[in-house]
Amino acid sequence: MKCIKFFSFLLVLFILNQTTAQEFKLGKVSVAELEQKKHPKDSSAAAAILYKKGSATIDYNQQEGFVLITHVEARIKVYKKEGYDWANQSVTYYNGSNDSREKVDFSDVCTFNLVNGKIEKTKLKSDGIFNEEVNKYRARKKITMPNVKEGSVLEYSYTIRTSNITMMRDWAFQTSIPVNYSEYVTYIPEYYTFSSRQKGYIFPKVTVNKQSRSILFTNKERSGGLSTHTTYSTDNVDYLETQTIYIAEDLPGMKEESFVNNINNYTSSMEQELSMVKFPNSQIKTFSTDWNSVAKTIYEYDDFGPELNKTGYFEDDLKALLAGVTSPEEKMLIILNHVKSNVKWNEYYGYSCDKGVRKAYQEKSGNIAEINLMLTAMLRHSGLTANPVLVSTRSNGVALFPNRTAYNYVIAAVETENGYILLDASEKFSIPNVLPLRTLNWQGRLIRKDGTSEEIDLMPKKASNDIVFLTYNIDPEGKVTGQARRQCTDYNAMITRKNIFSTKEDEYLEKLENQNNKIEISDYSKTNEKEILKPIIETYSFTGNNLCEIIGGKIYVSPMLFFSNEKNPFNQETREYPVDFGFPFMDKYNITIKIPDGYAVETLPAPAAMTMQDNLGSFKFNIAANENTLQMVISHQINEAIVSTQQYEMLKDYYKAMIAKESEKIVLKKI
Amino acid sequence: MKIPCFALLFFLFTLVSSAQKNTYPITAIKDSLKENADAVVRLDQMDIAIVSQKNMNIKIQRVISVFNEKGLSDIDAYQHYDKTTSIKNIEAIVYDAFGTEIKKIKRKDFRDQSAVSGSTLFSDNRVLYLDYTPVGYPFTIVYNSETETSNTAFIPQWYFLGGYYLSVEKCVLNVTFPNNLGFKKKEFHFSGFNIKKTIDTDTGLSYEAFNILARKTEDLSPSSRDLYPRIMMGLEKFHLEGVDGTATTWEDFGKWYGDKILTGTTELPEETKTKIKALVGNEKDPVEKAKIIYDYVQKKSRYVNIAIGIGGWKPMLASDVDRLGYGDCKALSNYTKALLQAVDVPSYNTILYGDRYKSNIQSDFVSMQGNHMILAIPHDDKYTFLECTSQDDPFGYQGTFTDDRDVLVVKPEGGVIVRTKIYEDKGNTQIDKGNYSIDENGNLSGHLSIASEGSQYSSKSRTETLQPTEKEAHYKEYWSNINNLKLGKITFTNDKQNIRFTEDVYVSAANYGVISANKMIFPVDAFNQSKSNVKRIRSRKNPFQIQRGYLDTDEIEINLPVGFSIEFLPSDFELKGKFGEYKTEIIRKENNKLTYKRSMFLNKGKYSNKEYDEYRLFMEQISRNDNAKIILTKN
Repeated sequence: MKCIKFFSFLLVLFILNQTTAQEFKLGKVSVAELEQKKHPKDSSAAAAILYKKGSATIDYNQQEGFVLITHVEARIKVYKKEGYDWANQSVTYYNGSNDSREKVDFSDVCTFNLVNGKIEKTKLKSDGIFNEEVNKYRARKKITMPNVKEGSVLEYSYTIRTSNITMMRDWAFQTSIPVNYSEYVTYIPEYYTFSSRQKGYIFPKVTVNKQSRSILFTNKERSGGLSTHTTYSTDNVDYLETQTIYIAEDLPGMKEESFVNNINNYTSSMEQELSMVKFPNSQIKTFSTDWNSVAKTIYEYDDFGPELNKTGYFEDDLKALLAGVTSPEEKMLIILNHVKSNVKWNEYYGYSCDKGVRKAYQEKSGNIAEINLMLTAMLRHSGLTANPVLVSTRSNGVALFPNRTAYNYVIAAVETENGYILLDASEKFSIPNVLPLRTLNWQGRLIRKDGTSEEIDLMPKKASNDIVFLTYNIDPEGKVTGQARRQCTDYNAMITRKNIFSTKEDEYLEKLENQNNKIEISDYSKTNEKEILKPIIETYSFTGNNLCEIIGGKIYVSPMLFFSNEKNPFNQETREYPVDFGFPFMDKYNITIKIPDGYAVETLPAPAAMTMQDNLGSFKFNIAANENTLQMVISHQINEAIVSTQQYEMLKDYYKAMIAKESEKIVLKKI
Repeated sequence: MKIPCFALLFFLFTLVSSAQKNTYPITAIKDSLKENADAVVRLDQMDIAIVSQKNMNIKIQRVISVFNEKGLSDIDAYQHYDKTTSIKNIEAIVYDAFGTEIKKIKRKDFRDQSAVSGSTLFSDNRVLYLDYTPVGYPFTIVYNSETETSNTAFIPQWYFLGGYYLSVEKCVLNVTFPNNLGFKKKEFHFSGFNIKKTIDTDTGLSYEAFNILARKTEDLSPSSRDLYPRIMMGLEKFHLEGVDGTATTWEDFGKWYGDKILTGTTELPEETKTKIKALVGNEKDPVEKAKIIYDYVQKKSRYVNIAIGIGGWKPMLASDVDRLGYGDCKALSNYTKALLQAVDVPSYNTILYGDRYKSNIQSDFVSMQGNHMILAIPHDDKYTFLECTSQDDPFGYQGTFTDDRDVLVVKPEGGVIVRTKIYEDKGNTQIDKGNYSIDENGNLSGHLSIASEGSQYSSKSRTETLQPTEKEAHYKEYWSNINNLKLGKITFTNDKQNIRFTEDVYVSAANYGVISANKMIFPVDAFNQSKSNVKRIRSRKNPFQIQRGYLDTDEIEINLPVGFSIEFLPSDFELKGKFGEYKTEIIRKENNKLTYKRSMFLNKGKYSNKEYDEYRLFMEQISRNDNAKIILTKN
């Protein structure tokens, strides 16, 4: 009897364990999971991933050889209606016509609900599975899960098969909702070496195991003659398989913030890339293992390096353009302008040419690679030392780890005595060293003719200026009339030119008027409109009725009028990711104010100055009264394109103090 | 000397003659058409041949000269297709500014893509579209396409003017049809446009229009559909995805829709019926029963749109919705109807245009119209309308998506046109009650309760579903007039019975009062500053309209800092006019306390372009007074 009791006790314990602990196996949904009302660590979460497991296995089969099988399974808890989107899942896959074609299958898709204390399971039927052929290359398998309510637990799994083993997918441990447990395992035969790269703030725990596997080959031999004769033989090949397990737990949901270049840079995730292949009795084939070999590999691609060597298609045109031109700088500008005005960017990214430089030149349009490789080739042809620079755009994320897919863009660099000059011919208003904003993303990689490469800092160091001269009179009714002259350099000039030229002048002015307290603008003119190497200067006269306030017979005016910063863009309490301004800048205002006759200054804002630590930025506010004229000089300067999260509090306080100062009023009283 | 001159002339002549062969040079465009235009439609011709009830062939020829990047979107060189609509021909030719051909784009060069977008999960609709990178501006594209379809329920509407900042040189519509299908048409907003009807017989209809000048967009304008000429067309005998239909009167049409499309879609498993009956219990009142069922549907279902074949028009079976717990507007409305049927409450599928901008089903033009479905429950000669795609809307609430418009209610005996619920301006309220204190350093701390009803309920109640970061961003935007805003405790009360949403918010902000020397200055109205920034428009052409009015009232207690005395207090202000009424009042109390009262009432209405500036000034005065500042001096 004793014995039996003990047994039943054990059984009870076992069952208890079953129901309280979470089991990371499809189908084993617990009542506790279904009963949970909110996420224990993030009560606002609309849904959470209770577990997600993925594996990438390279397996052998006789028909196809080595194939890559990716299997993913997940359990998701829906807490609120806003989490219903998680009941629709989709997998995008390659559906082109070559060996890289992928096959996707969903299985074990179920919704679990708690009905009167019992677990009710609803399976997905074929009417909830859809296959969308997006275009010639891509397709999307979609599912929508049945019977989803607040509190439901959803499970699904899918498998992707392909015979192109280089197409190992990235694994994101983190996403927009909390993830309790995320596991990723790779099974890789000794013949292949993958390099894996992790990014984000949370790193998974890694375990490595090796195990031996074998492949059974069946050989069929036929001997001919009058009667055919078939013999079978089998071969057994043993190999070592490396199993690598990555586990991360309790990952918080990612939150979007303003002034972040790309949130994916900070999401905890992992990339895998094939770096070496070594089969028995054959040579080692290496791919990218470090930035230098990545660059070399890319350079050797048919649609990259060789495209740089083609010159025939432009030689005649260039000869005519450069006749009599000797200065290297002039040559560079002429060539840049020639490419810009003759070949338009078709908005496609990539460092590989699509139709090739020759055809792009003839058809007058091409992708980024065609435009900037053509530019590089022309620069080289004219005798300059020019090389392509691989770039990862802001939308692509920072290129943290050496692999071929880290980059998606290419620009050109000219070597001079004073360092590199960077060029991009895809944007009308871009000039040497003032690149389209999309390219300003940490580091690029310059590749030379011999395949060697070097890191290039893409972040602008020189401040882009925005300098305003403002002169105005105030009349006793509070009406303001004056002139403004605004001069923008470098990046500010590029942005301003884009704004000006993207609309008709009339609309541009209407917008300017409405954005600036409904002033009325007249005598508007632009200087250096077309000479994009020079600063762009706008001048205009204005009148405004809403710029002063008359309170109790006194005139109150914000001296910077519509140029003052009114809102602190940094209003978040805490900051998760660095602030990205794109480029360093200086805003400077020289203001002359004439006060109306019969009035005198009652109060003036006091002069002030502040600087941030590490020379991050500074603000100066100077004011002086001279009879009925006031003179002011105000400057606001940020010296770094990127501000770290540690510096956020300081930056926020700086802006707060600056805005407080700029909103101080001058008070004028009747004499 | 004469000979070279002659040669030169000859050379010129050949140039001219070869240019004449060229198509559509830019120089041939009149200056008036270039004004405000990003592109000019040189020719926009559609030839619709209705061959039979089941066969319609449409040829499109568009010639567009594009002046800049913004004009690219006017090319419209794309064609949708699916199982019932096939593309027989599609091609484009690009010409440079002089009219010399620079590129030919054949069918295989058009991109083929699935046309699944937005809230749709899956549809079998696909699109062929032109992806062309201009090598320079201006240029001209000639686009030709031909499609054939068996669906004659939808004859495309014809818009003479296809967009803003676009002018039209020539526009042609030709329609041919058999005289026994009951072809009909309705013309809208023709006046003021040079449109000629060249054929109008029992088998053909043709229009021509010339020189339509480009229009600019202007805020608060009615939709372009309500401003510019268009033609609606339809057949009394039509075909839709394998089903023949008739539409002579709304009654007929409604009957057809009920018999052919809806019939057989409301069957439910016995188990569900029993469950629903048990849920309703002894409740007798049909409205109360409907409330129980609406709540059940809201908890059970979610919105998923799958549009395949007739599924684009026919609701998914109620039994499928019951099993799967999802569906689109038709499926969920129909499912709710099936559940109501089970407890003997009648209800009717209702077809309408769902949009914030109020648009009607054209009541005098019987045809397939609308883009949305809701459910109508009749009681006491009225209807209660249920939005079945929402999991949050209170019972019978129509917010701003389906209110105040003509809709088609499909009854078993036939269709009828009905107006949906109108939310009166005075009922669209926001009532603010609260207080704030300013300390001697200008720091603000306060508390506010905001209660919203009527159409204001719809936008405010969404705050409840926001994530913490979104909620923070929302309030920092809502009170963007308060710098350095810090949010304290926020509580929501969503009273769905009375349709009132209350936000209870604690806030604080450093430096709200700006200190200059010994003075402190701040706007009295901290919590409800008028947000409508009415733009100055140099010479407005369109009429304007305010679709929904509202009434805001505020009563705020203000505690001023000790050690300061009031130097200036804004005076009471009142403004009355055709657009509405506005009033503020500040009452001084003992111990440095004030009470601030504000009320703002805006009428809905339609106004002429001439009244726009008057409206702008009305709103500007309000915004200026909302910004009126108090000045304190340190004792």
